[in-house]
Amino acid sequence: MTKLAWIPVCLLLLGACETAPEGTTTLHEPESPFIAFDIWVKAGSQNDPAGKEGLAALTAALLSEGSTTEDNYNAILEKLYPMAAEYEYNVDKEMTVFTGRVHKDNLEAYYTLFRNHLLTPAFSEEDFERVKSQRLNYLERTRRYGRDEELSKELLFSMAYAGTPYEHPEEGYVESVESLTLDDVRRFYSDYYLRNNVVVGIGGGYPEGFVQRVRQDFDGLPEGEVAPLPRPVPRIPNGIEVLIVEKAVDATPISIGFPIALLRGDADFFGLMAMNSWFGEHRNSFSNLYQVIRESRGMNYGDYSYIEAYPQGYRTQVPPTNVARRHQLFEIWIRPIAMTAPGNLHERTLFATRAALRELEAIVDDGMTEETLAATQQFLRNYTINWAATIDRRLAYAMDDVFYGIGGDGFLASIRPGLAALSLDGVNGAIRQHLQYDNLYIVFITRDAEGFKQKLLSGEATPISYAGEKSAEHMAEDELIAGFPIPVDDENITIIGINDVFEAGPPR
Amino acid sequence: MRVLIKLALALTLAAPALAQQTEGIFPFDYRSVELENGFKAYLIPAGAPNQIAYVSMVRTGSRDEWEPGRSGFAHFFEHMMFRGTEKYPNYDAVTAGMGAARNAFTGSDRTVYYLVASNEYLEQIVDLESDRFKNLNYSESDFRTEAGAVLGEYQQGAMVALRFLSERVRDTAYDVHTYKHTTIGFEADVRAMPEGYDYSISFYQRYYRPENVVLVLAGDFDFDEAERLINQYYSDWAPGYVPPQITPEPAHTAPRRQTVEYPGRTLPRLSVNYQGPAWSATDRMAVATEVLGQVAFGTNSDIYKKLVVEERRVQAFDGDFELSRDPGLLAIETLVVNPADVGAVEREIMATIERFKEELVDEKLFEDTKSNMKYEFLMDLETAQQVAFSMMTYVINTGGIEAVEDYYRELDSVTREDVREAARRYLVENGRTVVTMVQAEGE
Repeated sequence: MTKLAWIPVCLLLLGACETAPEGTTTLHEPESPFIAFDIWVKAGSQNDPAGKEGLAALTAALLSEGSTTEDNYNAILEKLYPMAAEYEYNVDKEMTVFTGRVHKDNLEAYYTLFRNHLLTPAFSEEDFERVKSQRLNYLERTRRYGRDEELSKELLFSMAYAGTPYEHPEEGYVESVESLTLDDVRRFYSDYYLRNNVVVGIGGGYPEGFVQRVRQDFDGLPEGEVAPLPRPVPRIPNGIEVLIVEKAVDATPISIGFPIALLRGDADFFGLMAMNSWFGEHRNSFSNLYQVIRESRGMNYGDYSYIEAYPQGYRTQVPPTNVARRHQLFEIWIRPIAMTAPGNLHERTLFATRAALRELEAIVDDGMTEETLAATQQFLRNYTINWAATIDRRLAYAMDDVFYGIGGDGFLASIRPGLAALSLDGVNGAIRQHLQYDNLYIVFITRDAEGFKQKLLSGEATPISYAGEKSAEHMAEDELIAGFPIPVDDENITIIGINDVFEAGPPR
Repeated sequence: MRVLIKLALALTLAAPALAQQTEGIFPFDYRSVELENGFKAYLIPAGAPNQIAYVSMVRTGSRDEWEPGRSGFAHFFEHMMFRGTEKYPNYDAVTAGMGAARNAFTGSDRTVYYLVASNEYLEQIVDLESDRFKNLNYSESDFRTEAGAVLGEYQQGAMVALRFLSERVRDTAYDVHTYKHTTIGFEADVRAMPEGYDYSISFYQRYYRPENVVLVLAGDFDFDEAERLINQYYSDWAPGYVPPQITPEPAHTAPRRQTVEYPGRTLPRLSVNYQGPAWSATDRMAVATEVLGQVAFGTNSDIYKKLVVEERRVQAFDGDFELSRDPGLLAIETLVVNPADVGAVEREIMATIERFKEELVDEKLFEDTKSNMKYEFLMDLETAQQVAFSMMTYVINTGGIEAVEDYYRELDSVTREDVREAARRYLVENGRTVVTMVQAEGE
């Protein structure tokens, strides 16, 4: 059998883009047997009209999982099936993307189906009912009962962005989605799925002339202008503002955060990226929070922090792509703290919160050291290569570069030099400029919310016990953690019941 | 070195008729290494320049937890493997220094450890990984601490509806086989884990032995160098594997039915299960059973199109006939929109089963399914890690990767009559367990 040599240029040319037609991003890797698509519609949940929260997401779902004028949905499933190919969509605050990957043997058949979903959707009433019903089930049941930690993060973002177009979850509220009609979807499509509002991304081993053809197809979308929305300006919390969700749980997730004025591409970004990696690298034992709360105390499954939105972190080891935003939070995610004996859930929850806040105070006040910065630079140098191992992810990063206006060889290629150029003073200056610990939003999901609130307000120490022996040094540190202050006022604590969460609006 | 790949051509052959292949399906050249102590390694050049995926596959999982009170232990032990040795007391710091992506996961039949790293660290990785398999060393205090992290892991997914249901299905459908419990284990056993230090040492000594572990090294590296390193670092690992005392589940003599309450809001979930065969690359009926699951209950099946797309009575529909090392369950799971409709949905499933026992599957659907199964395999061979992971099924079930070719040859020769025979043989009333999960009163 003839063997073909295929050395992906990917890792040598991360993010490299050739000259492409306007409104098109390409990442040509001619030897690759795969072709990836990433079609970006410049509209997201921020564009949902008031009272119709969830419309952008429902629109994308219907396009992706509905019939086209050429094929009904069953016929589409039939055609996709022998290729074992599929496509996905994702709706974030600012971006809607439709993505897919196919082997070049099947490119024509696949592309035709993929294109038709976006350009000639049927908007069938039956498909609409099916997709809407699935989403409502998620909102009414799964979101509230499936994964408390994901819900706590969504609540944190909703609190932090109160009064801005980022406030509502991408999927919307129960009542707003119930009210959506097929006409709403048609209108959203005709308002935003416009020629100049769609960026076409194509990567991998596509044939000559293919990019031009795809762009031409998408140029068939109607002309029209979309008025840009102003950048969201969230309110800095007034001291510590707490939301407690009342729910009969055996384990409590904790989400902590506050707005930061920092985006990918900013001068301080790599400094904060290094800080964040050392402080709370996603799902990695390298992280300081992980070491303090999980590794040496065994309190939960993991503890991480973020300087960019990281939705559905439980599903992935690598950063999500195409969730680019014009505003970000600094976020700490403490995975559920389990009750280990009857009645000790609240003590343990507050202990873990105190441990995280104490570490936050330390990094803000003391900064990184030469050693921790060097270790982080060394770690990230190779680790970040894993973020873009496949053509679809490399393409998605290139699309995000367009969002952030990052030119040259793109963000991925800038990571190594960006990290290498960091100085300790620069990093610590950036930490002091962007991070603080006085003004925070915190979300808890726990049982006996009122009892928890009183314990929090009392300021009493919340020590924990261990199944095994701990050193004197460890116990001395525990005493400091157990009594670490969480200054919070009664009027800054809100309690809501689980079945009210995202029912008609944000938690207030 | 040049990374050779025949993927493109293999896929060309696979489409669309998928006739008998003269060449194998696995598009990479590889070399196997077998040491005297029984340790096996497979070296596969694949993926991007300078990257390697180093994947250690232990043929032990929650299936091997045969002693009472020890459910969840294989997974717990996976955590302990990151707690260091005398030579490398801080595994995390060493791998962080490499910038390696590393993790592990446990299933019913497997515990898998992986590192994805730059090939400049190959020797250090061989040393580090062989060392923890040979010389793991942790204190009882560390052990007890880690048990807390496992409880946290149990809790973070405890209310995910499918996991909740899966625990009840297994508990109902098995009497004696260890598949009765899920990989995370029963909650009471998880809470008792801190007391299991001595047992953990015994677990390590019985299962973490060279005869029971297979290394798949995929990526950009030199064959001879890798083989030399494997010989150097793994040859002194003493054999001594002690097989678990698993009791086979007998064929049931009557169908089973159970309703369970989910302590939160949910639509009814209906789970219909049958006692199936064990995985095999060469048993025609086993391979035909996997085809049956796709044609009868996959996303392109008549019942899926009818119930999910056309009538919208079911929101999620999944036929999982993926086989395991010992005979396991063939599962059909649905999320039913209207609680009053559960019985009718079950009757639709039964009618489908009867039809596949009587009739031959549609020819186009049958051929499309074979194509689908091959593309599923071939589409996931882009990175070194994916290539290594794609070999997991074969390693875990047979101890080597050679069976990949047997499997796809067998798949080629499966006929529509075989699929009908598989339905007749396995989708039988006495082997059936039906579990319905409903919302608890008051929720």
